Amino acid sequence: MSDPTNPSFRQRPLDSFFQQLVNGLALGSVYALIALGYTMVYGVLRFINFAHADVLMLGAFSAYFLSPAVGLVLPLPGIAGSLVVMLISAAICAGVGILIEIFAYRPLRGRPKLTVLITAIGVSLLIEYACQHRAVFGAATRPFPTLFRERNLDLFGVTISSNDLVVVLVTALLLTGMWFIVHRTRVGIAMRAVSFNPQAAALMGININRVISFTFGLGSALAAVAGILYAMKAPGIEPLMGIHPGLRAFVAAVLGGIGNLPGASLGGLLLGLLETFAGGIPGLSNYRDAIAFSILILILLFKPAGLLGKSSVEKV
Amino acid sequence: MSASVPLLKLDRATIRFGGLTAVSSLDLEIGHNEMVGLIGPNGAGKTTAFNLITGVYQPTEGTITLEGRPTAGLRPHQLAKSGIARTFQNIRLFASLSVFDNVRVATQLHRPHGVSNALWRGRAFHESEAAVEKEVIALLSIFKLEGFRDELAVSLPYGAQRRLEIVRALATRPRLLLLDEPAAGMNPTEKEELMHLIRFIQERFSISVLLVEHDMTVVMGVCQRIAVLEYGKKIAEGTPEQIQSDHRVIEAYLGDEGADTEDGEEVDNA
Amino acid sequence: MSVRGAKRWLLVGVILAFVLSWFSGRINPYDRGVWIDCGINIILAVSLNLILGHTGQFSLGHAGFMSVGGYTAAKLTLVCAVLVPASLQPLLFAAALLAGGLLAALAGLLVGIPSLRLRGDYLAIVTLGFAEIIRVIMQNTEAVGGASGLSGIPKLATVGWTFALAAITIYTVAGLVNSTYGRGFLAVSDDEVAASAMGVNPVRYKVTAFVVGAFFAGVAGALYAHHKQTIVPTGFDWLKSIDIVVMVILGGMGRTPGVILAAILLTWLPEQLRVFADYRMILYALLIILLMILRPQGLFTFRNARRKGVKAAS
Repeated sequence: MSDPTNPSFRQRPLDSFFQQLVNGLALGSVYALIALGYTMVYGVLRFINFAHADVLMLGAFSAYFLSPAVGLVLPLPGIAGSLVVMLISAAICAGVGILIEIFAYRPLRGRPKLTVLITAIGVSLLIEYACQHRAVFGAATRPFPTLFRERNLDLFGVTISSNDLVVVLVTALLLTGMWFIVHRTRVGIAMRAVSFNPQAAALMGININRVISFTFGLGSALAAVAGILYAMKAPGIEPLMGIHPGLRAFVAAVLGGIGNLPGASLGGLLLGLLETFAGGIPGLSNYRDAIAFSILILILLFKPAGLLGKSSVEKV
Repeated sequence: MSASVPLLKLDRATIRFGGLTAVSSLDLEIGHNEMVGLIGPNGAGKTTAFNLITGVYQPTEGTITLEGRPTAGLRPHQLAKSGIARTFQNIRLFASLSVFDNVRVATQLHRPHGVSNALWRGRAFHESEAAVEKEVIALLSIFKLEGFRDELAVSLPYGAQRRLEIVRALATRPRLLLLDEPAAGMNPTEKEELMHLIRFIQERFSISVLLVEHDMTVVMGVCQRIAVLEYGKKIAEGTPEQIQSDHRVIEAYLGDEGADTEDGEEVDNA
Repeated sequence: MSVRGAKRWLLVGVILAFVLSWFSGRINPYDRGVWIDCGINIILAVSLNLILGHTGQFSLGHAGFMSVGGYTAAKLTLVCAVLVPASLQPLLFAAALLAGGLLAALAGLLVGIPSLRLRGDYLAIVTLGFAEIIRVIMQNTEAVGGASGLSGIPKLATVGWTFALAAITIYTVAGLVNSTYGRGFLAVSDDEVAASAMGVNPVRYKVTAFVVGAFFAGVAGALYAHHKQTIVPTGFDWLKSIDIVVMVILGGMGRTPGVILAAILLTWLPEQLRVFADYRMILYALLIILLMILRPQGLFTFRNARRKGVKAAS
């Protein structure tokens, strides 16, 4: 199993296990952040926002273009500079998410599911093809700027990349923030009300459109941060970079029980760990997409409510 | 079948959804050519009882027998084939089909046609299709719907849609017809017509009818026997006169008359 | 299509196909290629229409069935071409088409079974997932060329074959649906609960739709392989499935003539837009969005629109 000539396997097996664990948690954290966006939108609108993965890509590109400008004012790489980059990117993507909802999805409210589903795919394709055009980003892969200087930390004899810690830390903070918003704020209560019964929520004086816009904005902002965190670990960024993490995150959302926030986080972590550990098995990596889809199909067939979701009986 | 075996018999039929017992130990018999009413306040479990009889739900406990044969495990379409037809409280016509096709679909269970016949289109196919057409037209004209033949079913006036649902159910050639609140949303004249219609159907097609209805005039007017449900339990059963004087029934219904437009147990898939 | 005249129409269609075939000898190979593309897309769209339009099952995996048919048929002719004399090539092609269709139908059966438990978006995702799994498997199977696919497939697909098969596809789907038996497909699509209460077995109808639809998708895949002469796994990715779905929606769900027109339009139009190659896909994505918002009932639906929207869950 450990190959002495391969530098990544120099550690003892136990070290490599912990290393993989940390890698898996970091990857899983990113998936969890993306999965939250899928699950929140599904919660209020009952549809799968295919374009979510592309918002993630836009987040990474925002950071790419913002970094040089922010670097003039604040030290970059550095914590303050990175935070500013993340915040502005999140704000940009929140705006994009809200605009997508208003222009593409809002006219379709109450239409058949297939119509909405195909529109979401159309929006996703539009963003991808438009960004691949040479007048926009072009199809080439670009190196992502360094936001945090990467250092290897020695924790209890296990070597951990500081970036992995940053990813896990940022995710933990955002998840806590999300929990607070959904459970402790008025708008969170409104979100849950709309999710539970949109008609009744509207009758109780909740402005449904505003809640839905907020949900898209929030989900897209999380996707932007996730995109930046993902890009920090990826070899570079390109217009189709969102597809892979998007698929994993969607599987994670379904695994946890779509519409269920803790479920999305749990699903994300599980999927990140699974992918990292399975990646170490030779021959399996070619089938990674197939495995992700197989998990998805198996959950939908045998436990469609997911790990933490509640199953519902269809009334006649 | 001998006369002693009832057409349909529910024996301590019970269904639970999680902690909620929607129908609890319900005993009910429906004889051949009998007209039975099932009444009760909102959420009493009437529609759930319908769904048990038609195989949409399986009872958690107890048995349901059709002419002595247990129906456990049979799917709705199999029960339809063995002679149970129904209408729905919130009309469920096939929205993309014409009036004619709505009824035509219901005749297919007595036709041996499958993929091969529809593709080969031999003489047997054409003969059968012609027979179906004749049958459907005959049914439509009995209920004065033949003029709407090619209209989309959902474009009909409300009362005609209710009638069409009954025609569609009759096209399955049932022995037991379950009507789920057919008088809902009707005015007194329409209700009067409906009562005539139900009596007429029962005589003309010599079938049994189980009627769930909120409207007491309709139920008392057409049913020979009435069972009363409250909180999933049968609290009374008897002739209309007996039911009218039963103090438990009066108690269960006190103050509930006004709220009879919507049944609490019926939540459309929102 | 009238019920009584149905078989006569099939005959007319097949004869027309061979007349077209005779004509196609005189036109340039490029246009002939576009004609064949049109025919293949008609088969794909009409067969998906049975699943999606008539039976209301959201299938986003039609390209998967197509690839099963394409790979099966291509492998068969590649292996057998050397053993079969030139005069018997059409016979080999017929066998390859049938084998491709049958194996795709088997795949349809396997995908159709989950459709019994799922509906709506979830079914769409599962069918998409199945098609992607098929693609990944093809990509990693050396026997079918792995990622580089199969090439050097004999060019056996002609205008005649293609349009004759298109006629058979149209006849089958229209014939099935336009019968007392076939109205069950529409009933299941409209309201499964009401349909089963009327004695229609939803399971049987759904699986039948998947199997028949997948069979013809497989035949289309086989034609495609023997037309392009090269197939690669990425040619059957989910975007291809979306293309076919867009044809069905553009033509009007459950409306065979509209779907045929849409298939022709969406084959012909991109050819005309070749000069705008840079913007073509952007325009296509925009077209999808605008179509969904402005004319979800399809371009060619003018009256009596199928009222799918009415029962849409909010």
